[in-house]
Amino acid sequence: MPASREDVPLRKSSWATDFCLPWTGAAVNWLDLTVARISGQPVLGYLPGATPAAEPTALAALALAGHAQVQAATAAAQWLAEQQTASGAVGVRAGESQPGWPTSLAVVAWNAVDRRRWETSVRRAVDWLLSHRGKSIPRSEHFGHNSELVGWAYAENTHSWVEPTALAVLALAADGRRDEPALGEAVTLLLDRQLPSGGWNYGNTYVLGQLIRPHLQPTGLALLALAAAGVSGNAVAHSVDWLSAQLGPRTPVQSLAWSLLGLRAQGRLPVEADGWLETAGEALLNGTKASGWAAAPQASSAPSYRLALLALAAKGWPR
Amino acid sequence: MNIMKSDLAHEPSDERPVGEPQPDRSVHRRRVSRRTWLAGGFAAGVAGGVAAGLAQRWWSASARQGSGARTPVFIARHQRYDGDLVRTIRDGLSACGFSASSVRGRRVLLKPNLVEPLRDCPQMTTHPAVVLAAAELFRSWGATVVVGEGPGHLRDTELALVESGMGEALASARLPLADLNYEDVAWRPNRGRHSKLAGFWFPRSVVEADLIVSLPKMKTHHWVGVTAAMKNMYGTIPGCKYGWPKNVLHYQGIPQTVCDINASLPPTIAIVDAIDCMEGDGPIMGTLKAMGLILVSTCPTAVDATVCRLMQVDPWAVPYLALADGRLGPLAEQQIEQRGEPWQPLAQPFEILDKPHLKNLVRHRGVLVS
Repeated sequence: MPASREDVPLRKSSWATDFCLPWTGAAVNWLDLTVARISGQPVLGYLPGATPAAEPTALAALALAGHAQVQAATAAAQWLAEQQTASGAVGVRAGESQPGWPTSLAVVAWNAVDRRRWETSVRRAVDWLLSHRGKSIPRSEHFGHNSELVGWAYAENTHSWVEPTALAVLALAADGRRDEPALGEAVTLLLDRQLPSGGWNYGNTYVLGQLIRPHLQPTGLALLALAAAGVSGNAVAHSVDWLSAQLGPRTPVQSLAWSLLGLRAQGRLPVEADGWLETAGEALLNGTKASGWAAAPQASSAPSYRLALLALAAKGWPR
Repeated sequence: MNIMKSDLAHEPSDERPVGEPQPDRSVHRRRVSRRTWLAGGFAAGVAGGVAAGLAQRWWSASARQGSGARTPVFIARHQRYDGDLVRTIRDGLSACGFSASSVRGRRVLLKPNLVEPLRDCPQMTTHPAVVLAAAELFRSWGATVVVGEGPGHLRDTELALVESGMGEALASARLPLADLNYEDVAWRPNRGRHSKLAGFWFPRSVVEADLIVSLPKMKTHHWVGVTAAMKNMYGTIPGCKYGWPKNVLHYQGIPQTVCDINASLPPTIAIVDAIDCMEGDGPIMGTLKAMGLILVSTCPTAVDATVCRLMQVDPWAVPYLALADGRLGPLAEQQIEQRGEPWQPLAQPFEILDKPHLKNLVRHRGVLVS
């Protein structure tokens, strides 16, 4: 597999209208160009020129599968399978065995691309997930959440947090394990970590009696996971309302993509969503000011990684 | 120096406690041999550190030799974000014996605090003007400057840059950002040994740096009392390996890991944004406390002790400072040489949460809030 090629310049015909695929000259929109770009290099790192990583590659696989790019999606999923360790976990980057929090994303990707082909990988990964859950902590007046509930952690033998728990719920749901008791407890945990506003953050509600602020990305992920688990009700609707009110054309890419994935899964995709995605995608492709700050040269993550997220958000999480 | 051998000699042992990230030896070996940046970075870092004789290493060497030399900490008052901060920082570094020759041709990593930025809470994060001023100065001295941060509570680094105003500021100065949460990593042994961690995964930009400049906000902290130069170094630890929050460190003890990280980093100095500070429920939810100060030192421990005194907090009651005392730098007033302004007339009581674990910090004064 070739190395990451984040610095390859893109040729455009006329800004703000359309781009040209370099090999055909045909005018295409940002999404077509994005899919073409990721298809050409489906194994991605977090940063330009960096070691390929599991999360960006799994998201690329999902985006490509959603956009019917079977061959490229298969290449990404196969790379993920090659990273799986003897324990069943998939580490953060090529050659890194721990921590294993990206394993959940690999499970979703394998199921979405070709469930039968990676059946063994999925089984080993799910076994690992079910045997590597977060650590509970005795209830304490210091924390508002129920710290005895168990979900998933980023690193082994640490506490359960919102995003790894949501990812694990998505993995188990993708594998058809909605009746798994661990999934049920994870859903309970997610609802327990919900803030009064309706949003979520990394996973603290009150600390030393102080209410902690919500963030967009974990809220989007939590809503996505709850939808995958088939959870609905007033609490979820409250979160959907909160998240919908936070988004706009200047929302940063990662937060925008995960928020739209969550809202789409809840059946509440904003009518402006396509326009926001287009604005963000075109800015990334053109290397211009994105949704709030300059995309280059100080990009916080590689354009292809963020483009993959946008392409996935444009299609929606696999059902 | 044979860099590859040196690097491999510091590979983690198999005697790691449960919960520690498990490095893959074969991968690490392959990467070291494959990636010249690591080898080159490590070599330059060692050479740079030795040649420049910077930061904690200065203090440690002089302390061991019983030289009796006091560690300088510089304070400037009446500072504003729209003022001449370049001059202030230059004066401060000069007062601490630091000059252009210390960094000419070296790689300098500026590490602000962007733990969980929010537009409406600017007292939480290092002001971009301080970062830009430091960058301008080090660049004018011939250093290559990178700004690096791994926000502790946000996986979306772009959001942190937008909310803090740092992204726009960096773009205006064409300063590159190192996303320390997601960069490739290299293993370095734990030179502090207060926690059970055998070592740390540090991001590429950290291990490549000849000098790290801690650029913290002066704040209270609801667990350990005070956060400034030393605690700010939590942000050099990559979230993708340690989590959001960096919970592996919490399980090993915040005071212990603060000391261990500081002991294991390349040479580190400090420039503290104490213009608009945070008191009360810091480091995230506290309120603004205007002080108008900039602090500079080549020793993060000594500058943090002075930060405590400015807050009217007992530095020995801050657990990580108590651990660092005599190992990473001095806390005692008689071992710190105050330059610029004296701290005594500038000190003001910072509100500290009225919680049992924080009472020792201000036992001598008793200004507590609920």
